[in-house]
Amino acid sequence: MIFLFIALPLVVAGLLPLLGRVSKRVLPDALANAVLLFLLVESVLMGKHLAGSGPYVRTFSWLGEPVNLRLAVDGFSLFMLFTISLVGLCAGIFSIDYMKHYGAKANYWALFLVMIAGMNGLVLSADLFNVYIFLEVAAIASYALVAFGLEYDELEAAFKYLMLSVVASAFVVIAIAVLFGVTGDVSFAAVARGLQDTDSRWVVAACTAFFIMGFGLKAALMPFHAWLPDAHPSAPAPISAMLSGLLIKVSGVYALTRIFFNVFGLTPALSTVLMGLATLSMIVAAFLALGQKDLKRMLAYSSISQVGYIVLGLGLGTPLGIAGGLFHLINHALAKGLLFLNSGSVQQATGTRNLDEMGGLAKRMPITAVTNLVGALSISGVPPLNGFWSKLIIIVALVQAGQWGFAVAAVLASVLTLWYYLLIQRKAFFGKLDERWKDVKEAPFWMLASNVILALLCIGIGLFFALTIKTWIQPATDALGQGVRIALGPWGM
Amino acid sequence: MVLQIILLVGLVLFSVLAILVKDLLRAAISLAVASLLLGIIFFRMNAPYAGVFEISVVAGLITVLFMLTIALTKGGAAAESKAAAIAFPAFFVVFAAIDVLVMRKLLARMPAIAAPAEAGTFGQVLWNARTLDLVGQIAVIFAGVFAVLALFRKRNDKDE
Repeated sequence: MIFLFIALPLVVAGLLPLLGRVSKRVLPDALANAVLLFLLVESVLMGKHLAGSGPYVRTFSWLGEPVNLRLAVDGFSLFMLFTISLVGLCAGIFSIDYMKHYGAKANYWALFLVMIAGMNGLVLSADLFNVYIFLEVAAIASYALVAFGLEYDELEAAFKYLMLSVVASAFVVIAIAVLFGVTGDVSFAAVARGLQDTDSRWVVAACTAFFIMGFGLKAALMPFHAWLPDAHPSAPAPISAMLSGLLIKVSGVYALTRIFFNVFGLTPALSTVLMGLATLSMIVAAFLALGQKDLKRMLAYSSISQVGYIVLGLGLGTPLGIAGGLFHLINHALAKGLLFLNSGSVQQATGTRNLDEMGGLAKRMPITAVTNLVGALSISGVPPLNGFWSKLIIIVALVQAGQWGFAVAAVLASVLTLWYYLLIQRKAFFGKLDERWKDVKEAPFWMLASNVILALLCIGIGLFFALTIKTWIQPATDALGQGVRIALGPWGM
Repeated sequence: MVLQIILLVGLVLFSVLAILVKDLLRAAISLAVASLLLGIIFFRMNAPYAGVFEISVVAGLITVLFMLTIALTKGGAAAESKAAAIAFPAFFVVFAAIDVLVMRKLLARMPAIAAPAEAGTFGQVLWNARTLDLVGQIAVIFAGVFAVLALFRKRNDKDE
């Protein structure tokens, strides 16, 4: 039942503030994590079900009346649903212990689930206007979650995020309005057909530019990235993990890719622009990350850099490039989720995010130190962890396509990535234990549990990367490679 | 045509005024006037439902809510830095200039509006064709309500 991906989190979110009056912590924790677990299982089961049947669209009946809920599932959306549920569940488990000292847990879970519902809705919608609406759902929930701590810098970061995000939404909605004006419809299939018939290159070019600006801002590609290094570090750690791991990819990369591949069609010019922006993000953000002293801020810059890799692979547009980009998407979601959660453990234990003040924490927090090392090496692309394979695939795809310049840039950025992650590891965890931290304790059970799960996933996907590619990445790549064809379904249009 | 231009210019002016005015009450009223003008534009462009919603909800209901809030809190106008006071109008002038230069050409190249495929009465379109939008709107309202609950909760409200 695919509608559950949107309806279930919403219904539970609506109930939570009421249930929160009965039980302040236990019930909201259990219920929200049960929902996330259910969605994860459902996405895996649906994957099996979908494997042979191809994309489908559902209509429902409500009180005897047929209701036309157009939801479309194909390999790409299923892959995203799986990623959202997986990282969402891990961030959810982490929140059980971490969010204790923030208070208002029922409210936190309600926002968390609305954000999940928004992302799921965006991934399942087959029409431009739905994309816009669910983009806003996830975004509004995320503004409140960034500011959840209510401290000065959190509110400031949330406001900056809100302002820039509104600009992004405005560009997206303008582009949708113009496309509606030109084609008379908003569903992916009809717009794609309408654009084939129309000969107005200028309109298409303008809409493309608006979409790149809008979704580029959401994905924090380089010239549009200014909000991310403020917003992501200020949020509570599980929310940083959700934003960096999922939200920028769903509302930025997914929407961009879906529209450009399945509606506009990837032209060589567009491909060049995307790859240019991606390379800019990849390199410049890596240099910026090197200079950071704040642990979470460094991770945030790293997110910009890694989104560059994803867009570089996708923008290349060859099947191998798309596969590499998508593989890096899930790998980065897992590894960056892990690193942000780890940073939360460190921040809770020491009360600081400043790398210069830390040191030797591995002696007091051995498990966190190990999981952090796994995440760092995975993102840096050290074999045999998952990040290595996805980066390798992207670079091989670039070389195959004859894009030597981009390939060299990708390798260079990878070296820089390894550099600043080893810097984190050395400054925070290795070396002599500072006198101040001698009473620091290892993180509580649920926080450790979610970190260990994510670290094991990073290792497991690295060891069984061929299986992962076959089960999840290949169907998604096929869905994108088929281009416009998928969106043409039996929707009675 | 002249009326349309007057309405559009008024819309832009009052929107800018809503941002620039320091007194909150005046800002709220400017916003209401701007959305009233927008509602009239919607009517003139043959979108009566959009016009009705714009005028009743945005110009009416939300303005009332704003005024109630301002009356209840009785807060003074916030201090503004001089840089912001100069930067915004400057940005606005540059934006308007670019807009005038680019948009005319772009609009001239745009083909005539195609007939919408989803014809039907307002109710049919809303309930049958755009049901997912309604679900999305419910989610937006949820998000807004929870955001307000979260942001205006008592600080240090420990659940111990």
